[in-house]
Formats: sequence, structure tokens, C-alpha cells
Amino acid sequence: MNCEIFREMIGSYVDETLEEDRRRWFRDHLRECGACRDVAVQEEPSLFFAVAPSPVSDLAAIEDCVAAVTSRIRQDRFERRLRRNRRPWMAAAAAAAMVIGSGLTWRAFTGDDGVKPGPTIEASRGAVSQATPPTVEVEMPGEDVRVYQFATDGDDDTAVYFIVDPALEL
Amino acid sequence: MVREIPCVQPAGLGSRNGVVMNDPQWIQSAKAGDESAFAELVRRHSAGLHRAVARILADDTEAWDVVQMAFLKAWQKLERYDPRYSFTTWLYRIGTNLAIDLLRSRSSRERAHKAGTEHRLRLVGNGEGAGSRAEGREADEILCQLVGVLTPQQRSAFVLREMEGLETAEVADVLGCSATTVRNHIFQARKALRRELKERFPEYLPASERG
Repeated sequence: MNCEIFREMIGSYVDETLEEDRRRWFRDHLRECGACRDVAVQEEPSLFFAVAPSPVSDLAAIEDCVAAVTSRIRQDRFERRLRRNRRPWMAAAAAAAMVIGSGLTWRAFTGDDGVKPGPTIEASRGAVSQATPPTVEVEMPGEDVRVYQFATDGDDDTAVYFIVDPALEL
Repeated sequence: MVREIPCVQPAGLGSRNGVVMNDPQWIQSAKAGDESAFAELVRRHSAGLHRAVARILADDTEAWDVVQMAFLKAWQKLERYDPRYSFTTWLYRIGTNLAIDLLRSRSSRERAHKAGTEHRLRLVGNGEGAGSRAEGREADEILCQLVGVLTPQQRSAFVLREMEGLETAEVADVLGCSATTVRNHIFQARKALRRELKERFPEYLPASERG
């Protein structure tokens, strides 16, 4: 009886005109009844795919996914916090660069080698740009890691961070 | 109105400190910044999302990357999530969009190659006759080889509707289109798959269909 009903419904299923509860019943029967499945695939070959069963869930893969997502969320949080913390450090780095630059310029003016001011300014600019980028260590409240930030004073968007777990340090 | 898609954990429920919590409660905690609550959501929904994305991409391994990206994006946009709608549908929308973007970025040759060599979905079931061969891994493997004949939208609609069993309205929500458009995608997908099955895989059809 069910098989007869099923076979009458094949056309409606394919045309997407079945109500959702009848559609679910149709799909259940398609999986359960081999004879009806053959008839259905003969009538509409694409129904071949409707009976593909769900793959077995891989619990280890799910836990790997949870660990990976959690790790990326933490990294995302670090980066956001560092971005927020970066402006004051950038101001300090810029101030330090100005002090160094001023010192070098003053030395050039007061030095006894008779160097003219023009070239000296270029030299001091070069000295500042070749200086090691500012390095800061940022405390992350509530996190058992240490963060080292390397950033150049001319670039507000780029920085290199090393997030270090002290437990792993030699 | 949206039915929850089967997942590994009991649908919509979980517990913390002996207190049973459902999806909206986990989401509320996650919105407040609770990473472990969001991890619970990942644990409950990743298998279902992976199954759908793997079928759309025809690549099991790449699908896990997309699932991770989808959850990261969900975390970043969690404030925008409207609890009146199903979390599953919202998540499927993010994951499916990422999968469609990825499909569009692949060349058809690369897709065919990947489909033929890397797909590793495991399938279970039993039955007899030509239609029953779909119960092995053949149905998924053949769909992978036919990926090139469907547009990313057609493929997504067909997988979600025909293989995952979502309702038309749910598929429309996931794909961000109307129910009529979903029906049209399904119609076009059936037409293309019917033709390709007859031409390239007649051995998988009942004897009377092989002519």
C-alpha cells in the first residue's frame, strides 16, 4: 500500500510540489524500500543522490575543529587588544625617534669636523630609519603568555608580534 | 519555523555545571565573550556544517578549513546574529557562502582533478538493486565528478535540499534568495545531473534506463 502511494508521489516530489511532511515521508520510504528506490531512480535518475546516507561523524575531527577555532579566536583577541594598545607605544616610539634625531643633529652642528647642516640632516634621517624598530613587551591580563611587539614608527597598520608561552622558554 | 539539522550532540541542548543549556543560552554566553560557550556551539554544529560543505566542495579536507573559517566569522559577527532566526541557518549561510566563493575561485580543471582524487566521504547503508548503489560511497563520488556541470548556486541548493533534506524555505534563507529561485536551481540541477548520469554513469542506473 505504502509502495503504491510512494510511486504515485514520485512526480510531485521531483516537481517540488509535495508538502514538507509528505516529502519527509517520501524520503524515508525511498531509503527503506529497495524496490521503490529502483522504480524511482528509473523514473528520475537524479533521485540516485537523494538516498546518499550521511557520513559517519568523526569525533576526533570535531574536537580538532573546536581546538582550531578556539585557538584562532584567542589569536584574534590578542591582535585586537594589541591594536588597541599600540597607539600609546607608537607615540613613545615616535618621541624616542625624535630625541635620537635631535641628538644626532645637535652633534653634527657642534662637532669640530666642519660638516655643513644640509648633509647632516640627511645623515641623521638615515640613522633614525636604520635604527632597530621599537620593541615592546605587552602584558596580557588573564593570559599566561608574553607578547613581544615589533613595529616601525611610520607604519600604523603593520606590526610583527611574537606571542610566547614562558613555560616553553629555555 | 526552521528545523534544527541533526548534529552529534542532542539537538539544541547541552549542559554546564549540571545545568541543561540550549542553543540560545550558549549563544547569549558567547555574546558576552565566553569562549567555552562558543566552543560548545562549535562542538554541536560542526559535523552537520562539515557534511554539507564537503558535499558542496567535493573535498572533505578543504571542507574542515571552511567550517573553521565559518565559525571564526560567526564569532566575529556574533553581535549581529538575530536570535529570532535559527542559529543553524545563520551558520549554514556563512559556511555556504564561503564554500560558494571557494568554488568560484577554482578552475573547472582543478575542480575535476580534486573531485576525482581527494574526496573521502564515508557512507553507510544497505539495500539491493541499481538504485541501492547510491548507498555506498558511489553517490557522493559521482556527484563530485559531476561538480563541473552545476553552478555553485545550483550545487548548493541541490545538496542542501536533496541530500541534506532542508526545507525550501530554509535553503532560501541559507542562499539568500527566494523559494522560487531555489526551486529553479533544483530543477536545473536535476536536468543536468539526469543527462550526465545517463551519458557518463549508465551502469549506476536501472537496466531499463541504460539505453
